[in-house]
Amino acid sequence: MVADLTQADCLRVPAQSLEKPSSNMEVTALQVEQLGLQLDGKVILQDVSFSLPTSGVTSVIGPSGAGKSSLLRCLNGLLTQWSGTVLVDGADSRQWRGGWDRLRRHVGLIAQKPVVFDASIRANVCFGIHGWRQRRRADELVEISLRQAALWDEVKDRLDAPAATLSVGQQQRLCIARAVAIKPAILLLDEPTASLDPRSKQLVEQSMQRLARDIPLLCVTHDLEQAQRLAGRTIFMCDGRVIEEGESNQLFSQPECIETREFLRWSVCDCN
Amino acid sequence: MALKWWLSASALLSSMTILLVLGFLLQSSWPLIQQQGATFIVGTEWYPFESLYGMLPAFIGTVWSVTLALLIALPCGVAAAILCAELLPPRLRSTVRFAMELMAGVPSVVYGLLGMWLLLPLLESQLNLLTGRTLLAAGLLLALMILPTIMVLSEDAIRAVRQSQRETAKNLGIGWDATLWRVLLPQAWPGIRVATLLATGRAMGETVAVMLVVGSIDRIPEPFYNFLQPAQTLTSRIGREMAEASVGSLHWAALLFCGLMLATMAVAISLLTHRKVAAV
Amino acid sequence: MNSQHLLARDTISKGIVWLLAVPALLIPTIVLCYIFWQAAPVLDWGFIVGTTDGAGFGVSDGIFAQLLGSLLLAVMACAIAAPFALGTALYYRTYASPRQQRLLTAMFNMLQGIPPIVFGLCGLVVLVNLFAWGVSLISGAVVLAMVVLPLLVLNTLATLERIPHGYTEAGMALGLGNGAIIGRLWLPRSWLNLLTGVLLAMARALSETAPIMFTATVFSGVVWPDSLFSPVTTLQTHIFYLAQESNDPQVISIAWGSAAVLVLLVASLGVLARLLYKLGED
Repeated sequence: MVADLTQADCLRVPAQSLEKPSSNMEVTALQVEQLGLQLDGKVILQDVSFSLPTSGVTSVIGPSGAGKSSLLRCLNGLLTQWSGTVLVDGADSRQWRGGWDRLRRHVGLIAQKPVVFDASIRANVCFGIHGWRQRRRADELVEISLRQAALWDEVKDRLDAPAATLSVGQQQRLCIARAVAIKPAILLLDEPTASLDPRSKQLVEQSMQRLARDIPLLCVTHDLEQAQRLAGRTIFMCDGRVIEEGESNQLFSQPECIETREFLRWSVCDCN
Repeated sequence: MALKWWLSASALLSSMTILLVLGFLLQSSWPLIQQQGATFIVGTEWYPFESLYGMLPAFIGTVWSVTLALLIALPCGVAAAILCAELLPPRLRSTVRFAMELMAGVPSVVYGLLGMWLLLPLLESQLNLLTGRTLLAAGLLLALMILPTIMVLSEDAIRAVRQSQRETAKNLGIGWDATLWRVLLPQAWPGIRVATLLATGRAMGETVAVMLVVGSIDRIPEPFYNFLQPAQTLTSRIGREMAEASVGSLHWAALLFCGLMLATMAVAISLLTHRKVAAV
Repeated sequence: MNSQHLLARDTISKGIVWLLAVPALLIPTIVLCYIFWQAAPVLDWGFIVGTTDGAGFGVSDGIFAQLLGSLLLAVMACAIAAPFALGTALYYRTYASPRQQRLLTAMFNMLQGIPPIVFGLCGLVVLVNLFAWGVSLISGAVVLAMVVLPLLVLNTLATLERIPHGYTEAGMALGLGNGAIIGRLWLPRSWLNLLTGVLLAMARALSETAPIMFTATVFSGVVWPDSLFSPVTTLQTHIFYLAQESNDPQVISIAWGSAAVLVLLVASLGVLARLLYKLGED
């Protein structure tokens, strides 16, 4: 039994990395094919296909109700009743080794409103780490994560203070640090700056761009200027479908579809 | 004017109730304290005919039966609350919960009947005891009585944990086990603590059910952890002997002192409950 | 930490929860069924409306007298406690200073924790002996009123708390005094919920045995009390005496029957209270 498991582990780990698309295909960290979702008989997403490169920010824009948040929740398995295929690092997310919990450690998600646990700042950053001994010895990781989230300087002297004493903007960066601490390969962000003041917004964006050097970020936003600032790629969604996808500069300066043009100009979309 | 008079009078009177209760108990048990000093409180002998009124056996019996009840009911009740709040589908959950709420209201005398005619024969046959009337029987019966209370209140506490916290824990992929121990239970703990204290109070003050199954023998279990022996609790002693004691006698005063002890313990528990809630 | 390990931990935790919880949910259910199974042979209409003469130690006809006694005590207890509870809660919301409010809350939390038998003892000392009311309906009712008082007060407070502040302010803006605010705004709005509280208090009063054991009840021989100062028989004490004194299976089945009736009575009050509460919510 034990031998079996180890063997399977040895076999599978390289298999997953080997399955990464080879050189003749475009290199992708996440590939979504014909994703569809119905909730209570209502179509939320249909035929959504796109892919993320191995690093850089990809923004998702679109009117509210376009299914942007639902898309993220399908990708990390908070919603599971979707159809289609999601390949994470080339492996089917439904068949992910270790199940959804394990997948969610690989594909982090930052929610719109920061949620901190009722514990110290340090404990919050370490929250996703398994084993209390590992959590206790995680000082270095805490510092790295907080630095990556652009929060270290503000909290380095009070790591043991309750996390609830932080401002909302700081809490949001704490959430980013917490997600980063478990070293996800992909980070999904659901309007991460929607409830923040301008200064915090700037810091969060900085932190995102720093992170995007190493891992791909998929960021849902309703703020078109933010999508432009973040550069990278942009996906425009409306009514559960991907309307247009491309390099941000390209998409914002010369949108191809009439719906995109309309949306960029009037912030409304009529794609039926 | 009449309105204000009514309101003030009823507020005054009903808030005085507790003081009146404690006062009358103290006043009526005073003769005993006057005559025997405070030594009888830690006395181990209770023989009313020889004017020996040691409170210790019944006190220990009360503590023991409540402890046993909590040891059984707390893990089971909290587990049932977790099952109900986290694992059962919503429809089943509301049914189960409603059933438990009804169970919490079942009169204690019915539990007494059950204890006497279901539990005692079972214990006697299963454990080969001479008599099923033991501390264990009292503990089991009390556990059954307080279980619905613990379950219902703990479930409230667990469900009060915000959904976003559960979702965030899920996003971190820490698994169900860690979510339970590191997110749900720590946050629900104040509520579970209050549930436990309330249940303790109820178990401590329960009279008729306990009195039917505990055996009513005034001695400290030998050795002290032997819960397969008959014993006495403060409440069962009052219930058994109050009708026999003549008004105004020392025996009467001693029984009222038992009542005073119960009331004092109850006040202590409620102060504990109150303080902890306020502190959270 | 590898994922198999993690999955195993989840499974084990869930297993333990199920293992502990299933008995916790099943045993009460089985017990409830057991009561009705035991009661089934004696439960019929004659059992409920028949009266026993006492000579046959409960074996003869029915439990009408006991049922009546229980209900009478519960209704009287609530009738005595309700005005005080309402008055206290209204005082809390209108005239009380924050200090008094804290004091009142502490008092009622304490009062709620006092074991019912302690009230019984007090009733015995003060009402039965000092006031010389004897073992009587009125002594029992007053004692039970003390038992349900904190429940009623806390319930009424919770009800009044749910009235939106703006609602009261709108009334004050019209220059209404306390009397008008209570009579024309608060009570019409929340009387259903107040009634819910009274029903719950009645259910509580019906399920208490210890406090009335020495203060109000005799085993048998009374059907309808002649006056406030005569003793009554109740279902609760009837069950208690039968369980304690008898070995006759036939008598015990009467006790099971009475227990089933009592459980049904208390449960139906609970269900009714729930329905009324839902009605009041809308």
